[in-house]
Amino acid sequence: MRKKTLLGRIGGAELTALAVMLGMLLLPSLVTDAASVSVLTQFMIALMGALSVYIMLRMDLMFFAVPAFMAVGGYAAAILSVRYEITDLFILTITAFGLPFLLAIPLGMLVLRMRGVYFVLVTFVIAEIMPLILFETPSLTGGSNGISGLPAVTIFGEYFIETNNAVLMLATGLALVAVLLTVAVTRYFKSQFDSIRENEILAQSMGLAVARYKIIGFCFAAGIAGMAGFALVEMLMTAHPTSFSAMSSVNYVAYAIVGGQSSILGALLGAGILVWASNLFSLQGEISQGLFGLLLMVAVVFAKGGVIGILRRNAAWLCRLTGHGKAPAVAGKSGEYA
Amino acid sequence: MKNVTTHPGPMLQVLNVSKHFGGNKVFNDVSLALEPGEVLGVIGPNGAGKTTLINVVSGQIAPTSGQVMFGGEDVNPKPMHQRSAMGLVRTFQQTKTFKTASVYDNLERAKLFSGRGIALETPYFAELLRDAGLLSRLDQLSDTLPYGMQKMLGLLMALITEPRVLLLDEPAAGLETEERHFIDRYVATAMTEMSCCVLLVEHDMELVKRLCPRICVLDGGSLIAEGPPDEVLARREVIEAYLGTAGEEEVAHA
Repeated sequence: MRKKTLLGRIGGAELTALAVMLGMLLLPSLVTDAASVSVLTQFMIALMGALSVYIMLRMDLMFFAVPAFMAVGGYAAAILSVRYEITDLFILTITAFGLPFLLAIPLGMLVLRMRGVYFVLVTFVIAEIMPLILFETPSLTGGSNGISGLPAVTIFGEYFIETNNAVLMLATGLALVAVLLTVAVTRYFKSQFDSIRENEILAQSMGLAVARYKIIGFCFAAGIAGMAGFALVEMLMTAHPTSFSAMSSVNYVAYAIVGGQSSILGALLGAGILVWASNLFSLQGEISQGLFGLLLMVAVVFAKGGVIGILRRNAAWLCRLTGHGKAPAVAGKSGEYA
Repeated sequence: MKNVTTHPGPMLQVLNVSKHFGGNKVFNDVSLALEPGEVLGVIGPNGAGKTTLINVVSGQIAPTSGQVMFGGEDVNPKPMHQRSAMGLVRTFQQTKTFKTASVYDNLERAKLFSGRGIALETPYFAELLRDAGLLSRLDQLSDTLPYGMQKMLGLLMALITEPRVLLLDEPAAGLETEERHFIDRYVATAMTEMSCCVLLVEHDMELVKRLCPRICVLDGGSLIAEGPPDEVLARREVIEAYLGTAGEEEVAHA
């Protein structure tokens, strides 16, 4: 009775997230309004960044290096397609995921030794260094000009991803893969990640090689960020250092924390709400950053579990509000966070 | 994995180990040995360095100098998780469990992480679970258990990994008087069923006298006496360390 298969371990929240993402695959054929397509594409990229943060939060590691790994993935795709005329979707996706993934192994060995706030600071420093590297290596990255004029991504050399809707489809597909990978890694290593989060010393005293699992999580977080970078350069049709500024790392952390770090649905909700809000109020640039900062503070102080936490506390109330039909689904979800 | 039980001589040897935090000498040139099948008690006033001893032996902190030998092998270069996987397993003075996991999952994680372990249904283990009052609470979240049960769960998590040497850091602290007999049965089980040896750090003198044929006394980071409990506890320097005449200044600083 207690033995669980991997499939059995996938909880209600994960299934909901996967179902939502599968549903989103229909969006590119339904939504025609250019502004909405743009916001949805931004949401998909934001979601992948948030998932990257979410994986690290499963081990109680706050992680600000998302834009740095996005840059690695994005530039890898841009360089392959512009310089080497490799435009195949599968090769580009694997490169955008694989290169940051591999880079995270030596980097993780270095930075994961640090604990608590020191780790947080070092990840921020990585995010600060990356644009400098991009500016200082013009022969590879185009320096301050970036790499522009990306050719359309191709699928089996036949279909071309050219229109905005096609780019949204690409971003949605990548986000779906990111959700799948996140579910797989956080569920397969659930015991290890939960134990590291709850009591790292106890886990070590039982024989768990904590460093190894932290590096595994770090690699997947980096790879998923790389896919987000790939989607971003395809949306902008250019790879430029300013797209991967260190300050933007705050956004991805905000998505995961405002949404709620106890569940993968938190990343979805956080990215959805904040991307939608920042577009709705046209709060771009510095005000937008300030808003994120403020929301982050408010979420930490007043809504410790994020939006998901609030929903969970009010699950019973919500059941009554939405009627009996939805009650079991909500109850099932809330049980998952225990 | 190397089988450490085949090694002749002491299972665990602490050789001239010192630990300094800056100028603070918590622990100075301590040597002791644990023979196969032995229960060695380590006593001493608060701040004597008992927990530091366990931290150093388990690999949680590195010694400033000296060596820890486990089954004849120098384990100084090995981190805590590797020592634990070899069978050198510690427990904690405070309650430490995985809070959001059930009692059952806590025990399963101990087995998963150590890569070893016995079945929960093993008669002597099930008996200990029953003694601790945990057998009927396998599905309860460990965080919601009473303090004493959390403590006993921590001890059982160490035992289920089939340790060769158990390092028990004040196992009876926080337990009710009637719960303390659990420690007796626990240590007896570890010895008879697993032929495991035990290093017991404890304040409860009655418990130490019951369980340990031999004890060491730590005071101010140094070993001041060693021998059978009745004889050692009657020594003048040990009484002074406890009653706080000569050793008081050092203890206050340690």
